[in-house]
Amino acid sequence: MSDLNFKIIENDNISTIFLNGEIDMSVTEETKNFIMPIIEQKKEVHLNLKDVEYMDSSGISVLIESHQKALELGTRVVLKEISKSVLKVIMMAKLEQILILE
Amino acid sequence: MNIFEKKDFPVNSSSLKDIREFSRSVINNSSILASNKDELVLAIGEAAQNIVKHAYGDKRDTTDTMLIQISFIDKKLEIGFFDKGKPIVKENIKHRSLDDIKPGGLGTYFIKQIMDEVVFKDAKGWNNNLVLTKKY
Repeated sequence: MSDLNFKIIENDNISTIFLNGEIDMSVTEETKNFIMPIIEQKKEVHLNLKDVEYMDSSGISVLIESHQKALELGTRVVLKEISKSVLKVIMMAKLEQILILE
Repeated sequence: MNIFEKKDFPVNSSSLKDIREFSRSVINNSSILASNKDELVLAIGEAAQNIVKHAYGDKRDTTDTMLIQISFIDKKLEIGFFDKGKPIVKENIKHRSLDDIKPGGLGTYFIKQIMDEVVFKDAKGWNNNLVLTKKY
């Protein structure tokens, strides 16, 4: 059973994805498979991370990949309500100026 | 207070959550370690992930286990990882430059940021023995 849950709210051209749980290598493929098709529709994606209790380097890779794919397609991935523990990891990777944090 | 605990885990990505739970429960035994819990759990999770991903190449069919041993004695934290995967070539272990923004290559960087020392040792009966240490 996956330890990560997804919920999506569509609003005009913005898709808000709520992630809930822990993101490690056991769920990265599943996470990418959920997020990437939405980016490929050139929608702006808001990733709500308030209920992500743990994220490791695999999760950071998903954030980077999503961000880069979105830029390539002329849209963006915005990270919203980032939990304290995830923010620490983003800052440790010095990505707070690279990824879009709101 | 001195701590010494060890536990075996199956080598697969599904074990990572159990490894984090084990780590949190050991770390919670010391208020000194608990103040640093998120970072320590991240370092342990990254090291365990490297075993699954690199020493075993993310093979799903292995029945091997890895041993994780955590000790905190005289304010020195030592976390040992023992596995029977592909022997690590120390020279190949490097993290990517932070300026080179791309997915992957950050796990080892995180471990080195969090811990004071990251070394591979020889351990009889095992192919790899990674030891992470931090003094408080």
